[in-house]
Amino acid sequence: MAEALVKKNPGKILCEKCGSVILLENAAIWTEVPDGIYLPAMKTTDGEGAKGYEFWTVSDMFAFENVGFCNTVENIKYLACADCEIGPIGAHMLSDKKTFYVSPLRVKHDVPSDGTDTVDDAQPAPCAE
Amino acid sequence: MSSSGGKTYDYLFKLLLIGDSGVGKTCVLFRFSEDHFNSTFISTIGIDFKIRTIDMDGKKVKLQIWDTAGQERFRTITTAYYRGAMGIMLVYDITNEKSFDNIKNWIRNIEEHASGDVEKMILGNKCDMTEKRAVDKARGERLAIEYGIKFMETSAKASLNVEEAFFTMARDIKAKMDRKMAQAPSQNTNQVKVKAGDKKSAGLFARWCALL
Repeated sequence: MAEALVKKNPGKILCEKCGSVILLENAAIWTEVPDGIYLPAMKTTDGEGAKGYEFWTVSDMFAFENVGFCNTVENIKYLACADCEIGPIGAHMLSDKKTFYVSPLRVKHDVPSDGTDTVDDAQPAPCAE
Repeated sequence: MSSSGGKTYDYLFKLLLIGDSGVGKTCVLFRFSEDHFNSTFISTIGIDFKIRTIDMDGKKVKLQIWDTAGQERFRTITTAYYRGAMGIMLVYDITNEKSFDNIKNWIRNIEEHASGDVEKMILGNKCDMTEKRAVDKARGERLAIEYGIKFMETSAKASLNVEEAFFTMARDIKAKMDRKMAQAPSQNTNQVKVKAGDKKSAGLFARWCALL
């Protein structure tokens, strides 16, 4: 809760499908969103999307290494992989120009480059279900 | 704001992709275009712009790349769209003669609406489709010479020259900026020197900020 406990992404954030680099290590801040943010399903055949309550956030769109911004839908710009176009991997509300959300459930987390025995995919199971 | 608020790049260039519908401008944006399937949410909504980061001589360059996304069909590409653009990729389809002929019209449109010093480049896309080729590479080259701009044939599908095209464009924009910086001292001597020493891109950011 305290501001001092800012948690940043220890390794790169990659596209889970093609591995394109979305964010470099330490570029994003772990953010809890009590009201949740709804992200539509990646494939339209997958039915409903899901609400996420924890996100990686950045405050500047140019903090992204590679990312695609969708056309605006109801004041939201969903984010996609810049290379393979999979998404939404996150969202940006036009009402809040300083926050860009990336769902940890829709990206791959790279092992930190200093390689201390961090287990891959050991993300703290954010928002189970 | 801590470190996440700091600028983590050296240059920021806004690029546009211009050309007739169907020439594959959207594909030029995607390295793995053949991978994406149609039933996705994203393909339904469409991409507005992309941010890409490239490394150029040790400098981190952010590219913000816009696609006309169908506006060209209505000929509504006007000044607002071109505002702030530092580079424009003129894209035609080598299997489509008309898209090539229209490049001249697009150049005229750019001259009318875009800033005079915008960097331009002509791309003949879909060069993997040799059996359907309608425009010889030499014609593309000649057109580019006529306008004094660079030319490249690309294949988004075969990942051919797409990255190179963006690199070339970024390099040319940077060179132009550096030249401007070098000329500037004649106007206000000391200030510019200081700026150029600590961050060459200061002028660019000033220009960019005005857009936001």
